[in-house]
Amino acid sequence: MKQHPLCTDTENADNVLDLAIPAQVKQEWAELQTRRHFLGRAGKVLGWAAAASLLGHRALHGDNYPAAGAQGGDLLRLPNFAPKAKRAIYLFMSGGPSQVDLWDYKPNLAAQFDKDLPDSVRGSQQLTGMTTGQARFPIAPSHWAFKRYGQSGTWVSDMMPNIGRIVDDLTIIKSTNTEAINHEPAIMLMNTGNMNAGKPCLGSWLAYGLGSMNDNLPTFMVLQTKLNTAENNQPVSSRLWSSGFLSSEYAGVGLRSSGDPVLYLTDPQGVDREVRRKMLDVVNEINRQTYEELGDPETNSRIAQYEMAYRMQSSVPELADLSKEPQSTWDLYGPDAKEPGTFAYNCLMARRLAERGVRFTQVYKRGWDMHDNVTKFLPIICQETDRGCYALITDLKQRGMLDDTLVIWAGEFGRTVYSQGGLTPDNYGRDHHPRCYTTWMAGGGVRPGITYGETDDFSYNVVKDPVTVRDFNATILHCLGIDHNKLTYKFQGLDQKLTGPVPASVVPGLLV
Amino acid sequence: MTKLHTMVEGAVRMLPSMKSTRIVWATSLGVSLLLFLLPWLVRLDGHPHADWQQFLGRFHPLVVHLPIGLLVLVPLLEVAGLVRPALREAAGFVLALALAGCLVALSLGFLLAYGSGDAGAGVTRHLWGGVVLTVVVLMCLLARPRSYAQGVGYVYPTLLACMLIALVWTADQGGSLTHGGNYLTQYMPAGMKRVFGSGAVPSASFYARHIHPILDANCASCHGEEQAKGGLRMDSYELLMKGGQDGPVIVAGSSAKSVLFQRITLPPDHKQFMPAEGKPPLQSQQIAWIKDWIEQGASPTLTKLVGVTIREELPAVHIEPVGEYSALMPEIQKMEQGQGAKLKQVSANPSDGLILFTVNAAGTFDDAQLAQYQKFAPYIVEAELGRTAVTDASFDTLKQFTHLRALHLEETKVTGVGLPRLASLSQLSYLNLSGTQVTAASAASLNTIKSLRQVYLYNTPAQPAPAAPRATQPKEKNAQ
Repeated sequence: MKQHPLCTDTENADNVLDLAIPAQVKQEWAELQTRRHFLGRAGKVLGWAAAASLLGHRALHGDNYPAAGAQGGDLLRLPNFAPKAKRAIYLFMSGGPSQVDLWDYKPNLAAQFDKDLPDSVRGSQQLTGMTTGQARFPIAPSHWAFKRYGQSGTWVSDMMPNIGRIVDDLTIIKSTNTEAINHEPAIMLMNTGNMNAGKPCLGSWLAYGLGSMNDNLPTFMVLQTKLNTAENNQPVSSRLWSSGFLSSEYAGVGLRSSGDPVLYLTDPQGVDREVRRKMLDVVNEINRQTYEELGDPETNSRIAQYEMAYRMQSSVPELADLSKEPQSTWDLYGPDAKEPGTFAYNCLMARRLAERGVRFTQVYKRGWDMHDNVTKFLPIICQETDRGCYALITDLKQRGMLDDTLVIWAGEFGRTVYSQGGLTPDNYGRDHHPRCYTTWMAGGGVRPGITYGETDDFSYNVVKDPVTVRDFNATILHCLGIDHNKLTYKFQGLDQKLTGPVPASVVPGLLV
Repeated sequence: MTKLHTMVEGAVRMLPSMKSTRIVWATSLGVSLLLFLLPWLVRLDGHPHADWQQFLGRFHPLVVHLPIGLLVLVPLLEVAGLVRPALREAAGFVLALALAGCLVALSLGFLLAYGSGDAGAGVTRHLWGGVVLTVVVLMCLLARPRSYAQGVGYVYPTLLACMLIALVWTADQGGSLTHGGNYLTQYMPAGMKRVFGSGAVPSASFYARHIHPILDANCASCHGEEQAKGGLRMDSYELLMKGGQDGPVIVAGSSAKSVLFQRITLPPDHKQFMPAEGKPPLQSQQIAWIKDWIEQGASPTLTKLVGVTIREELPAVHIEPVGEYSALMPEIQKMEQGQGAKLKQVSANPSDGLILFTVNAAGTFDDAQLAQYQKFAPYIVEAELGRTAVTDASFDTLKQFTHLRALHLEETKVTGVGLPRLASLSQLSYLNLSGTQVTAASAASLNTIKSLRQVYLYNTPAQPAPAAPRATQPKEKNAQ
């Protein structure tokens, strides 16, 4: 019986090596086949399997595939140059914080309350489906006053009095801009350098490139802040800390915001440490045989993950035990910090992870997506996050850790200066705004006490020193000693990198 | 009288007697004349000429080192020849080879200057140095066969001495062209500078402290007294603001309109990028300072710029690269496979040194274990000993870490008794003693470590943790 034309006919398929295509492509194709693929095929191609074994591991995976146990960084020869920061903490403000209400002070807007945003400012921009149908775009000045703080005299909203006190340590970027206008692609772009899911995120690239400093904890940890149901929460998912096409050992490991930080970490009753070890040894031996047989590098990742979990059985309880923190810690981080899963708690945990040599910690805080009722939502979320940010920077600084730790505060985009929905003297909503938003960094490698980039009178367009997402990420990598063009991984025939194929550049004005 | 007589007689004897020799002398005279006339025949007019001239000319820095080496060898061979005559015989050959080298290097050097449009006092001096040197070498070669002739033995050694002087002077001029006039003295210890009288007292302005040193180190070798490419000199404030042949390079208040700023921020492979000719680009911080300085008026007197906080009012500690340790690499790599403390390279560049990580062994890492790292001592630039079991005894080991820049001792049993022993660490700029029992008295001894820039004493008897969080002050302190 004849097969359906769309079925792959492995018996009668054209031999790739006979096709009229360049020899180099054939060679590459042959090299990309894993042994498993060969073995999965009909017997007549078994000869190729023998050839593949002859080619060896290196040929199969390209030169940059780390052998079992080796860190990618050793093979890539990273860091490329002496880094300013050894580790980073990324406070991800999911939902899109309003730069208009927090950072980008535009005193002239007060006089323009409820006036229409000039068409020339908006230009031909395509808006989201949420406001594109609006008859008019009334300007909504910030409901809150701003004050100048620090020696740098930076204007900061009254919503963030504590962050105001550390502005001299911050590098504020008012000209960050993105290409995405909706949450999922925009968060993906910030985290992985690509709007489509499937690429490794910043943390995974760092884990792959720089390797671990502490053998007993994952290189890349993710802390999610407990859901505040009073806020408008957009979902975040594990795609954001996925290792994409990199080995899964480089994926972010999440600590749960309540209960056991890591599930099933405690041994079940009747299983002691020794039994656990013996079991792991046997499992590892079986896995090793599987690897020998099939050569799938993910098997090695699995072995590494089992071993990491075993070591985390003792390192994580120690990490999560806050009983030895002195009173001064609680005075600094505030009472919220005692409750697991709060933003303040996660900031404290991020400091503890940094102390223990974790390369990259990403704290997610959701709830910044304020399409309406800004005057109700913004005070809640600022109250939740202001103290934690202040405490983290202050704590790192007093402990001498801010010199070699880079802290990043960013969302996926900003918010419109015009009101979404009705504008009243007391309330307004703001839609997504990709053209400019404010982010900040602090610590190792960046220049403290400066504000970089400028926006127009409506906080709508960048007028000076724009910073794209890829430039933003290239700069982060630079602080960690990495040339973003050299941290690559060959996949789908490309030297993939965090900053993608469009040229990116480190922003010198942000650096020390 | 007798002496004068012998000298005259000697000079006569130096003169050529045979016909073939006369031809040699005449040719030499002709070549010398031609060389002396060269700068007059083909004038360096300061305009770039054909590309092929530059192409060939750029081999000058490469070729020039061959005759230099040979010329230094000649006197050595002559002296060594007193003991082993065979070496003396070789000297003649080496000298002839050196002359050929001189002629090639001189030609290429001239092509370089002419082709790329170099002009200026420095280039002219270097050119004349090259001409004089070549002629002296020629004279040495002519005088050498007669160095045994009675009464004229002194001529050849004298010429050799002149040759060496001309060589050193010309080489120095050449070096100043490529590296800048202050290349050799830039890092001269302050005491020595005082003796030699160089290094004017820096004025307090932002320009004098931060901008001028950048331009001086990176730009003035081409845009200075010696070369003034494009008619631009950057060795003083007035000349810098005056600009070059195409007008001013700095527009006070606008970095975007300032040609200088445009040129230093082009992509490094751009034809107009400065510093040119493959010299390293300015550092990002330097670019940022120049930008702020221009935008805030490019003033020669302003002492502080708004928004520019230069953390270290003290000069940055000069970082010495560590020595070669490739022989120890297998041991370092083996350590990395294990579970305990490990050494890691700071970066792909080995001379950036090693970091000692102890986080995997923190509780058990003690003084004895630290002592085992002595053989790596000069290569370790950072030691992360926080939360380990090391004590004051560790300072005996640590003082041998001669390239140590950062030392973490937070939450250890260190009391500070041994701190003065760190005084020999001339590179140490970061010291973290947070959470230790260090007292104010023992911390005071840190003032003797001149290189220290950051000392952290959070939560120690020297600086107890603040009671009220609202009063929290940064504990960063300058040791001086």
